[in-house]
Order: sequence, then structure tokens, then C-alpha cells
Amino acid sequence: MPNVLLIGPIFIPLAFAALGVTLSRYRTLQHGFGLIGGVLAWLSSIGVLLENLQGNILTYRLGGWPPPFGIVLVGDLLASVFAVMATTVVAAGILYALGCKDKCVRYPAFMPLFLAMGAGLNGALYTGDIFTLFVFIELMVITSVILVAISDNRLGLEAAIKYLFISAMGTLFLLIGIAALYATFGTLNMADIGRLLANDQRPLLAQAAAVLLMCAFLLKSAVFPFHFWQPDFHTTAPTPIGSMLSSVVVKVGIYGLIRMMTLMFTAEAPLIQELLIILGIIGIFFGSLGALRTYDAKRLLAYSTFGQIGFILVGIGWGTAAALSGALVYAVNHAFVKSSLLMITGVVSSRTMTKTARLSEIGGAGKTLAVTSGLYFLGGMALAGVPPLNGFVSKVALARGGISAGHWLALGLVVGAGVITMLYMFRTWQWIFQQPPAGEFKLKPGGDSPLAPALLIGLCVLLGLYAAPLLDIAARTVSQLSNPQLYIRAVLGG
Amino acid sequence: MNILFALATGIMFAMGVFQLLRRDLIKAGMGFYILFTAINLLFLAVGAYNGSVPAYVDASNRPAGQPSDPLVQALILTAIVISFGSYALLLGLIAVSSRRFKTVDSDELDQLKG
Repeated sequence: MPNVLLIGPIFIPLAFAALGVTLSRYRTLQHGFGLIGGVLAWLSSIGVLLENLQGNILTYRLGGWPPPFGIVLVGDLLASVFAVMATTVVAAGILYALGCKDKCVRYPAFMPLFLAMGAGLNGALYTGDIFTLFVFIELMVITSVILVAISDNRLGLEAAIKYLFISAMGTLFLLIGIAALYATFGTLNMADIGRLLANDQRPLLAQAAAVLLMCAFLLKSAVFPFHFWQPDFHTTAPTPIGSMLSSVVVKVGIYGLIRMMTLMFTAEAPLIQELLIILGIIGIFFGSLGALRTYDAKRLLAYSTFGQIGFILVGIGWGTAAALSGALVYAVNHAFVKSSLLMITGVVSSRTMTKTARLSEIGGAGKTLAVTSGLYFLGGMALAGVPPLNGFVSKVALARGGISAGHWLALGLVVGAGVITMLYMFRTWQWIFQQPPAGEFKLKPGGDSPLAPALLIGLCVLLGLYAAPLLDIAARTVSQLSNPQLYIRAVLGG
Repeated sequence: MNILFALATGIMFAMGVFQLLRRDLIKAGMGFYILFTAINLLFLAVGAYNGSVPAYVDASNRPAGQPSDPLVQALILTAIVISFGSYALLLGLIAVSSRRFKTVDSDELDQLKG
């Protein structure tokens, strides 16, 4: 169903980014327009989701060229769920940036880059053309590299250089995969590739393309063999950016994997799923144990993201309808929890003299910050999966998937690893907010505003208490994904 | 023609990977660019699969044979712009970091351990 609403989440942030460049001398005005842009993109992505819930798959042909020749934007339920998650977190991130006291937030380039990153994120989710996916992912990578390089933390530059090299490798894999697909099928439209792959013929190059695309997506979401850049990059980023990277930007790889397995390489999916379970479990234990022995509050959360992505991958790997919808619920809930936790850590470290998140230096810093302490406690318990918060809902949904798949060993490991999450979140909360500060310690007045994380934590509590709508949407998404013909027919017509 | 493309792409990939693994960040950056050029060549080879005659020339002076695929050339243009942008950004970052950390040796950029 053609609908112009689809270009909103991509075009609005880009337009406001351009407006922000022209307003670079007037910081207040630029930031105000940035927030308006973020909120408008959020509203339009919700509009697309509501339209999807009527049972339509929206498409928009850029330039009016009919698919498979032109570029087409496709808003099906999977893309819309991820996009609503992304725009919500990005809007909250912009709100946080408005109250942020970091030096880099005051640079004229900050807000346009932030908005362009949001546009790249939404574009990568909504596009129905695999080459355009590459273009939007690159937009996201380049803007996030610049934003980390200008971070107040002087080591941000080192992390940015490392990430640019590593992500170039991911891009390389993606491009070779695209070239292989184009050489085989002569089309770049994902629906068209899906249609051509639906028969039993498996050209050799198409199988190579599946492996290459998988490597690229695993690298983007920092899964086990490709994870080593992630803690550095997410830790040194400015707080508003780090909370985006660690929550929604890593989900683009997850989205790509789901899209690839349900639309294009449906026959290869069982093989990929077995691999994902193994990689996911390695990720869960590596990430959780890494978080347990890390003594820097932000780095700990970055390691925890590595573990939580593992939970999502195991859910995808189980592959049953219940498991896949559990993975979707997990992905959405994790984005809200992780971004709010990183923001709260940023709030606390902005009140210290050195602006660090090292536990040895911010230990006890939060003893007088009652509101922040409460928010961090709620967020930590949500991440660990304590009822009635949203983390509990996602853990239960995932466990239900594991039961339906009958994969008892993996299920036991996953549930067991949940305890480690509890351990490190509780320990960190006690360390920052409960124990008396070491030696002479003075809080700086001012600091970042805790409004944005408070809103996100509110959303987490709400999603824990009224979990039915999200679970329902996830179930409908999975039923739509299980029939790729719906997507193919909506894009190609007929 | 195909064997020529295959050889050229292979050699450029090899050069790029070798260069990317150097310790000197500037040389590694060059490897980065050579790899992206190799990809562009790979795309061109994909387009020349069916023929290597230019696609858009006057019918009067078009050489005989199967025209090549014009779409990959559009893709290469996009890829060149993006890789050029990333390369410029990378060199800029290396320039700033050589001033900030006083080194372009990737082994000495190790303050992020932990």
C-alpha cells in the first residue's frame, strides 16, 4: 500500500539536521529545533506502526520508479517495531543532550550529526533495497564515529579510529555480499531476491553472500568473534551518544539478521540459527562475566549490552514463533533499559569533578542523589528481570520460546546467566549509591538533567505493568514474518 | 576480459589487506582505501558479466557487442563517494590523534585497555 508517511522518520531528521547546520550560530534555537525534529520523527514512526497494525504493509517508491528497478521504502511490522524503538530512544537522547553539560554538546556540529545518525538508523530499518541499506548504515557509522571522536573523553579519538577500521571491514563484507547477490540475481531489491531465492536452486555465490551478509550484521551488533571494539567505543562516547550506540544502533545488526533469515535466506535459516545459539551463549557469558569484573560503570554497561545481545540471538536461534517474538520483546525492552541506565550513569559522573565513571572514583557519589538512585535501582532491576518491570516480561517471553523449542540446555544456561546480570547490577548500584564515599568528596553543583532517563524508566515500568500490547504486536510481527510472501507481494505487487 | 578483472581484483584485495595490517596508521588507512577500490572493481566486474560495451553511447558509433550493465556504475559512484568520505574522515582522525597522542603507531595507541 503506497503511503507517503514512510519518508517521515528518515526525511524529517535529515531536514532538521540541514536546518541545524544553517542555525549553527544560534545554539539554543538549533537545539530546540533538534528536539522538535526528534519528536516529529517519533510521531511519524508511531503513525507508520499504527497503520501497520491495521494489517497493511506500507511501501513508498522513491522517485516514482516501480520496484524492482527503483529504490523502495517498506514499512512492515518488523521495521516499524524497531523504528519506533529507535526514534523513542533517539528523541530521549536529544532531550538528554539539551540538559547535558558536556563541552562537545555545545559544538555547532553536534545536533545535526545526532539527527543524521537518527535518520541513518531509521533509513536502514525502512529500506527495501539492500544497497540503500549499506548507504544508510554508512551514514550511521560515519556520524557516530565523528560524535565519538569529539567526545570530552580524550580517548574517544582512539576508540573512533579503531571502530572506523573495524566497521570498514563490516562494510567490506556487506559490499562483497551485495556484489555476489547482484551477480547472481541481477537485482538489489530484497523482496525480489527473496522471490528468486524461494525456489530450491542455490547458486554458489548466493550461499557465499549469505555468509558475508551474516558476518557484516554480526559485526554491526558486536557479537562474539567481532565484539572487541564495542566496550571501548560505547564507553568513551559522550553520554547522549553512548546511550544511543549501546541500545539502538547495535540493534540494526539484529534487524538485518532477522530480515535476512525470514525474507531472503529462508532455506539456510536452520543452519544460521544453530550458529546463532552458540554465538549467543558465548556472548551471554563473555559479556556478563566481563561486566562482573569491570570497575567502570559505563564500561560495565557496554559489556552488559554484549551479554544482552546474546540473549536476543539465542531467541532468534531457537526459531519458533514464540522464541522469535520473545527476542523482539527483549530487543525493544533492552533498548529502553540500557539507554536509561547509561544516561543515569552519565548524570552521576557529570556531578563529579573529573567526569569519570570509574567505580573507584564515583563510589558513593550518589549517596545524596535520592531520585537518581531510585531510577538506577529500577533500571538495574529491569535489566536483571525482576517483576513487575519490563525486563521480567522479556525474560519470561524468551523462556517461553525456549520451552516451545525444547532446547533445555540453552534455556538452562540463559536463565542461569540472568542471575549474573542481577549480581553485577545490584553490586554497581550499591557501590555508587549506597556505600559512603571514599575520603574527601565533593559533588559539583549542576550536572546533567535526569529528565530523559526518568521518562525512559517510566516507559520501562509502564511496559512491565501493561505488557500485553507489546507482546501482542510482537506476536503479530512474527506471524507476518512467517509468511514472506506478504512482504514480497506488497513490494512487487501482484 | 573476465580473467583480467579477476586478477586485478584479487591483487588489489591482497595489497589492501597487507597494507591494512601495517602498524603505521597512515599506511593502514591507505590499505583501507585500496580495499574499497578493489570492491569498486569487483562491482564493475559484476556489470561486465554480460558484456563490456559502453551502455549509453549513440547508436551510430556504438561498437558491436553486448552492452554492459549501467546500474553497477551508478552503485560504484555511490560507493566511491562514501569511501572517499570515510577515508577523508579517517585521515582527519589520524592527523588529530598524531597530535594528541604523539604517535601514528597503532601499537602505541593502547590507553583504552581495561
